[in-house]
Amino acid sequence: MARLELQSVSKRYGEFHAAREVSLDIADGEFLVLLGPSGCGKTTTLRMIAGFIDPTEGSVHIGGRDVTRLPPWKRNAGLVFQNYALFPHMSVAQNVAFGLEMRSTPKSEIPGLVSEALQLVQLEHLADRLPRQMSGGQQQRVALARALVFHPDVLLLDEPLSNLDAKLRHDVRVEIRSLQQRLGLTTVMVTHDQEEALTMADRLVVMKDGQVRQVGSQRDLYEHPADSFVADFVGRSSFIRGRMHGTTLKSAGGLEIVCGREIVGDAVVALRPERVHLSKQPLQGMENVFPGQVTFVSYMGSLIDVHVKLSEADQVIAQLPNHEGHELPDVGEAVHVGWSSTASVFPAQ
Amino acid sequence: MTAAAANPATRSRPVLISASSLIGPATIIVAFGVIAPMLILLRYSFNRYDPRMLMIEAFSPENYLKFFSDPFYLQIFWTTLRISLLCTLICLVLGFPLAYVLARTRVRYKNLLIIGVVIPLFVGNAVRAAGWMTLFGSRGFLSVMLMKLGITNAPTEIMFTETAVIVGIIAVNLPYMVLTLQSVLEGIDRNLEEAAFSLGAGPLTMARRVLWPMALPGIAAGVILTFILAMNAYATPVLLGGPDFHMMAPLVYSQFQLNNWPFAAAVAFILTVTTLALTVAAGLATRQRFRG
Repeated sequence: MARLELQSVSKRYGEFHAAREVSLDIADGEFLVLLGPSGCGKTTTLRMIAGFIDPTEGSVHIGGRDVTRLPPWKRNAGLVFQNYALFPHMSVAQNVAFGLEMRSTPKSEIPGLVSEALQLVQLEHLADRLPRQMSGGQQQRVALARALVFHPDVLLLDEPLSNLDAKLRHDVRVEIRSLQQRLGLTTVMVTHDQEEALTMADRLVVMKDGQVRQVGSQRDLYEHPADSFVADFVGRSSFIRGRMHGTTLKSAGGLEIVCGREIVGDAVVALRPERVHLSKQPLQGMENVFPGQVTFVSYMGSLIDVHVKLSEADQVIAQLPNHEGHELPDVGEAVHVGWSSTASVFPAQ
Repeated sequence: MTAAAANPATRSRPVLISASSLIGPATIIVAFGVIAPMLILLRYSFNRYDPRMLMIEAFSPENYLKFFSDPFYLQIFWTTLRISLLCTLICLVLGFPLAYVLARTRVRYKNLLIIGVVIPLFVGNAVRAAGWMTLFGSRGFLSVMLMKLGITNAPTEIMFTETAVIVGIIAVNLPYMVLTLQSVLEGIDRNLEEAAFSLGAGPLTMARRVLWPMALPGIAAGVILTFILAMNAYATPVLLGGPDFHMMAPLVYSQFQLNNWPFAAAVAFILTVTTLALTVAAGLATRQRFRG
């Protein structure tokens, strides 16, 4: 395994920027997840690492070696596709052996290495099957074994779980992550599913419009989102828009909200639902306290979302834990909500 | 019980009627338009020929014996087989990359490219061969160009040679090969190619290990199609090969013209059976390869 570096890598198609100056430094053995909505450039970035797309500018280094101009077959990167892309005319063992044969591994060593790789994914008993005789989850594990058997410098996963059903997805997530940690694999995974990203990654990269918006740990992204896009995309937020006067935001609906920092011009406050306090009595001890009216209650079992209208233009969501004996507010009821001045505030985009 | 038993019967009748009405017309045309004449030809091929009385009812293998014992006819047989195999091989070698590009290109004018491949089929074989004649003749375009460019100093005679016939047949058959291969290659997931690349296979290895085996059924179809067309080529060998060049299909026609129906029928049958046998052999070979 090796360190992987992207130095201000860009890809332009005419006027369209698929990726804009993407710089990443992925440590040996690190699991990095590229997260973003479709068309954000995460797949383009992965394909530039794999060598399927030539960057317009910038360079890619794997283990200190500049691979920017190398074709995919000389990069020694293991790739797992969304649809697995197993060779349908080859058995499981033949699929896994393919990468070894390409590297001129001595014929006598191949069977041993293949069964070793299949053991990793607990499929050695199905070595003689054809891919079409296997379930999606099994095919996915074969694809993983095929990508790992030749000891790639980096492992690249392109939405590897999106074709699996929800139950299986949870299991495979854990399986891939523990395999990655056990083998110390430098891994880059692309996904649009934030839960998947949060549970698997060492570090996350949030992308939008071809640009990296923020790089950081789960905690960094959640507690200190770099902008309102990240605040919305990672976790949930309700937003209040307005204009800043010093450290106070005056909302469209006339609320005056105390913020932690000074911004000039239009801005937006992002509130995490579980950080919004809700009470039937007036709240104390917080910088921002407003009366409001419940417009919607969403009962989700362990948690309850309460939508509260603060003015004609402003609304927030407060999330309450479902404690025993907790009295739920009713729609139309007058309540008080409050939050601290440490809530995120960003310049309006 | 009775209701359940009666139900499928009442339901299956309209299905049967509609199925037979769908396949009926084609079956009738095949039966009367192909099988019946073939059977009559088969019968004719065992008759005797007499220069004055023409066809005499008989049951003798002498037409077949005549064909296989006369070096002149055997020569024609081998020439036809050799040229057909050669043309098919060249069509495959030339057609595969072209079909691959057509199958994989994502440009907006892809349909135009495909029409470009099909356009030669709009021109009849005879018309096209006439076109080749203007190109191949000793005072034709090619010969004159070669001399003007100083590559040759004497007129090049391509017209009425085997080369002319081979080039002509390839030109006719290539579109069939390309279209067949293109549709097969298009059905192969592009991710499989990328998977092979990422596993360390270069383009040629990828083509040999992934595209080729997966496209094999389609390759067999393309090969069989072009081979049949080459074996039965008529206009091209006649027009581009000239009076001294012989292939099977023109031989059949010339024997009919000489009113020797029994021998013409025998030659026609030899041509058909040879084509069919090689086609079946090719089909079996690919199927075995595919299983193994």
